[in-house]
Amino acid sequence: MGPETPILEVEGLTVRYGRRTAVDGLGFSIEREEIFGLLGPNGAGKTSTLSVIEGLQRPAAGTVVIDGDDARNAPLAVKSKLGVQLQATSFQDELTIEQLARLYAGLYGLRLTRDEIDARLSEVGLAEERAKPFKRLSGGQQQRFSLFVAVVHRPLLLLLDEPTAGLDPQSRRQLWRRLEGLRGDGGSILLTTHSMEEAQAVCDRIAIIDHGILLVIGAPAEIVARYRDDPRVLKYAHGEPTLEDVFIGLTGSDIRE
Amino acid sequence: MSEGTVHPGPTLGLTLRSLLRADFTTLMRSRQGVLLNMLVPLIFVFVTGLPGRQKLGDPGVLIGLAITYGLISAGMLGYSLTIAKDRDNRVFQRLRVTPTPTWAIMASRIAVQVVSALVMSVIVLVIGSVLHHVAFAWYEYLGMLVVSLLGAIVFLSIGQAIVGLLHSSTAISAVGRVLYILFILSGILGSTGALGEGFKVFAGWTPVGALVSLYAVALGAPWSTDATSGLIASVAYGVIFGFVGIRWFHWDSR
Repeated sequence: MGPETPILEVEGLTVRYGRRTAVDGLGFSIEREEIFGLLGPNGAGKTSTLSVIEGLQRPAAGTVVIDGDDARNAPLAVKSKLGVQLQATSFQDELTIEQLARLYAGLYGLRLTRDEIDARLSEVGLAEERAKPFKRLSGGQQQRFSLFVAVVHRPLLLLLDEPTAGLDPQSRRQLWRRLEGLRGDGGSILLTTHSMEEAQAVCDRIAIIDHGILLVIGAPAEIVARYRDDPRVLKYAHGEPTLEDVFIGLTGSDIRE
Repeated sequence: MSEGTVHPGPTLGLTLRSLLRADFTTLMRSRQGVLLNMLVPLIFVFVTGLPGRQKLGDPGVLIGLAITYGLISAGMLGYSLTIAKDRDNRVFQRLRVTPTPTWAIMASRIAVQVVSALVMSVIVLVIGSVLHHVAFAWYEYLGMLVVSLLGAIVFLSIGQAIVGLLHSSTAISAVGRVLYILFILSGILGSTGALGEGFKVFAGWTPVGALVSLYAVALGAPWSTDATSGLIASVAYGVIFGFVGIRWFHWDSR
């Protein structure tokens, strides 16, 4: 597909769990080389949306088109274009980092030699850990390895579900730099986050959703400017409205489970 | 991550090779589990091979029973618990977001378990034949491998049905252990006829009894109606439990 077409187009996406509707007619698109943030309170439908795009969940309605391929018609072709970092990922306890790297490279169609795996692990500072199982890595190392697996095949679109949850500020900043680097190499990124700081720091555009419905979409600064005088936002603002004030103003201050 | 560098995707051969290598490595790293699967069969052939114990039954039946215990342990405890653990840890979800057909993920797991079951069968048969002072011909080894293949499918299917119907690892472990004990008892009491002829007939139709009848034929006994019913029952168990295990299996326990 040409560079003018969006890398991801989601239209009328609806996800139901029994009688509960988690995502209700959601639609958005992501341009090439764009970092796009999906924001919403707990239970807003972020992970359900991502699950459909990842091919883990079948939607009740709607379409997901990635690089021109409909995810329902060509699921394996679509998956080979995606890199995915799940919210809570674990790997086989019995395999070392090196063995896991070889496994996932193979599953994406890459035959990597031991030297190539070592070189790639060195790039993310994990060469010394090659003989360890995943669970024996630190939180930051686990996050780096999960991202390593997600981009081992240089995907067109990288999906990250709360990638910085539980990371210290240093690791978070390091991840942001990596995301910028991946975008610089021509990739596009869709991430979910609860961090407004993260959304403003790395996302070109964001969408705020709640109860599975799209509330607003646009560049972070543009969204703040659009709602700066909205009474729902001013109610929570302490001084100049921020993205977090807009988020709370639009989604409410009730704590979600 | 540029458009020009994206890989066209894996071939099925590379996918299966990658999965099989990983699953075999996982099995080899779980030596404790493999040894435990062999422990009960080896204890059984040792105890039944002691002098004066020959009255418990024909050596072919006893060795077949011992191998069946190993298959039960591997299929209903080892396999089902490994699947439950990987499901809880979202290992399957991680694999499913790759361009890998879901059948390949399961086929690789099952293939590794079947190979492990066949290796266990040969080891128990060799040690059993020494302890019971019997020699088996090559075609009897071959027959035993065929029956072990069928037995592995039966007990892996039962293990698959357990993880298909139950989501909690604790419940899977509990049900597996209870069934394991029931199957062991039905095998011993059925093959020795300790609870009478009626129970012996009933036990012949259980997964254990069905396989023991086939092992007896593979290891020298003439073909019998018990063997015919054993073959029918084993195939039926494999198909029914396999269907249940696949139909109701959930990749994520959440």
